[in-house]
Amino acid sequence: MKILTRTRHRLPSFAGPAHLRATDVTVRLGGATILSDVTLDVRGGEILALVGPNGAGKSTLLGALSGDAVSSGVVLLHDEPLARWSAVEQSMRRAVLLQEIVLSFPFTAREVVAMGRTPWTATPFEDDDESAIQDAMAATDVAGLAERKFGTLSGGEKARVALARVLAQRAPILLLDEPTAALDLHHQELVMEVVRGRAAAGDAIVIVVHDLNLAAAHAGRVAILSEGRLVACGPPSDVLTPGLLSNVYHHRVDVFAHPRTGHPLITAVPHS
Amino acid sequence: MTTHTNDQVTKPADPGPVSHLIGSDHPQRRRSWRGTALLVGLGVGLVLLAVISAGQGQLDIPPGQVIGAVTKWLGLDIGTAPVHPQGENALWYVRFPRVVLAMLVGGALATAGALMQGVFGNPLAEPAIVGVSSGAAVGAAATIVSGISVFGTWTVALAAFAGALATTMLVYALSRSGGRTEVVTLVLTGIAVNAFTFAVIAFFTYVASPDAREQLIFWQLGSLNGARWSAVLAVVPFVVVGLAVTVLVARKLDVLALGERSARHLGVSVERLRLTVIVVVALLVGSGTAFAGIIGFVGLVVPHLIRMIVGPGHRLLLPASALGGALLLTGADLAARTAVTNADLPLGMLTALVGGPFFFWLLRRTRARQGGWA
Repeated sequence: MKILTRTRHRLPSFAGPAHLRATDVTVRLGGATILSDVTLDVRGGEILALVGPNGAGKSTLLGALSGDAVSSGVVLLHDEPLARWSAVEQSMRRAVLLQEIVLSFPFTAREVVAMGRTPWTATPFEDDDESAIQDAMAATDVAGLAERKFGTLSGGEKARVALARVLAQRAPILLLDEPTAALDLHHQELVMEVVRGRAAAGDAIVIVVHDLNLAAAHAGRVAILSEGRLVACGPPSDVLTPGLLSNVYHHRVDVFAHPRTGHPLITAVPHS
Repeated sequence: MTTHTNDQVTKPADPGPVSHLIGSDHPQRRRSWRGTALLVGLGVGLVLLAVISAGQGQLDIPPGQVIGAVTKWLGLDIGTAPVHPQGENALWYVRFPRVVLAMLVGGALATAGALMQGVFGNPLAEPAIVGVSSGAAVGAAATIVSGISVFGTWTVALAAFAGALATTMLVYALSRSGGRTEVVTLVLTGIAVNAFTFAVIAFFTYVASPDAREQLIFWQLGSLNGARWSAVLAVVPFVVVGLAVTVLVARKLDVLALGERSARHLGVSVERLRLTVIVVVALLVGSGTAFAGIIGFVGLVVPHLIRMIVGPGHRLLLPASALGGALLLTGADLAARTAVTNADLPLGMLTALVGGPFFFWLLRRTRARQGGWA
């Protein structure tokens, strides 16, 4: 069987850092422009946080980076348009965590994580399946849930199992849509530490977050989206400024330096 | 967590000899013994039931002599051949083709159900409920009434396949929105498709000659009465090809449970998978319907029971459903032949008597879990 399904996909043999690039990407859906002319570089060894108000186009940009159709512009994976890579080749190079997690049949948590190994079926990397699954489940603190049915888990547990599935894929580019949204404080930090570890090992991470403090504390660069446009992109302390944030969120925002780490601390000011 | 990525990236692109991959030892196979036990159990049960079933009827032949008839045909000198003068004729001309057809039809329908559920992402999808069986029936009925037989016995099977393919694609196109199939949409689409196809069959029945009409009516009720080797031979290639393809799509169907987008992100070509599965479902339902008529609920009951025993993984679900469906229909056919003396009850009627309430129970349970229909 393994021999039968062997395919001639280009296995990741490149030595250079992961690289994904969106150039002038525009996405229109039903007449509305969701994303307009976004150009963005995703580099290995770095966490890039996408932030912005609801409906700013964060998930759409992440979708475009992961291969969803764009109206104009192009997304390049290692300097080649995404369309030139097969679905399997893409999946060997980038993993995607969607915001909405669905599962049609009662698989166990471990089975869900094991699905992350699908791209490596019938390749030499299949030998790493077991260690990849176990590492990912340990890193996201879900090893104890392995035999539980996915549907019986809490929202936060589901989110961590889904993240473990993405980590087990062992792709050098990770596109994560709100991996921390359903998590408690401890697990938020745990997940961000895992992601930082991957970035330190040379992986490229794009992460959509609502929590600006999380972005400020962990991201190397922050990209701010507003009404489908990229309004700023750079190190947190450069772009997370009171003026820009107040403008983008239509709400007064104050920014302080953390007394110990020096990271920007962002807080909304109540209307009085 | 810090070094694996580098390992992976610097591994050579050339996979080298693959022999070490096949024997690779995966320590975690907790379900595997259960899966193996299930497959072996179903296989053994199927063989036993087939032997018993072949011996039952107006002329009773003990199981030992049934086996004796087979070993004699194989040229082996073991056991006793049937002692009754008509024993061998009854077995080879009437019983064996019927038992074999029951296995093929049952296996085909149960596997088709499991495949449909996988590709629709909905455990309630079943060929008869969504109208694919009656679509196949329209194709087969058309050839019975018109008397067209350009491809010999294959004509009915091919026409049933064409009808099944058309209805599967129609149902698929009509009942999906946003990459998902909701229960209500699916069942209502099934009602609409069934209403139309049964009207077409009714039309055929109306215009048919008295002979063809009688054939049509019994055939609509589902029966293996009068199964011949010619029917078995016409169905075998369809079922074999259909079952072989399931091996290739099993793992992809697992991943499809994560939704279409996530499946694509994991390297599954969703469009191609979908098309493959639809054609295979049509092949299996077409061959299950062509000579046996409309036999419902096998594709609903069997995969559901298998999932309850070994979980939803398709690599086990699909072969186990094939064996389970064969076992169920062989048993049902035995009951149809022997429950009432000198009567051959319609098989479709029997499966619906059991499957209808089962479907109702599943509906209630699904509804309770979802807290109402979306």
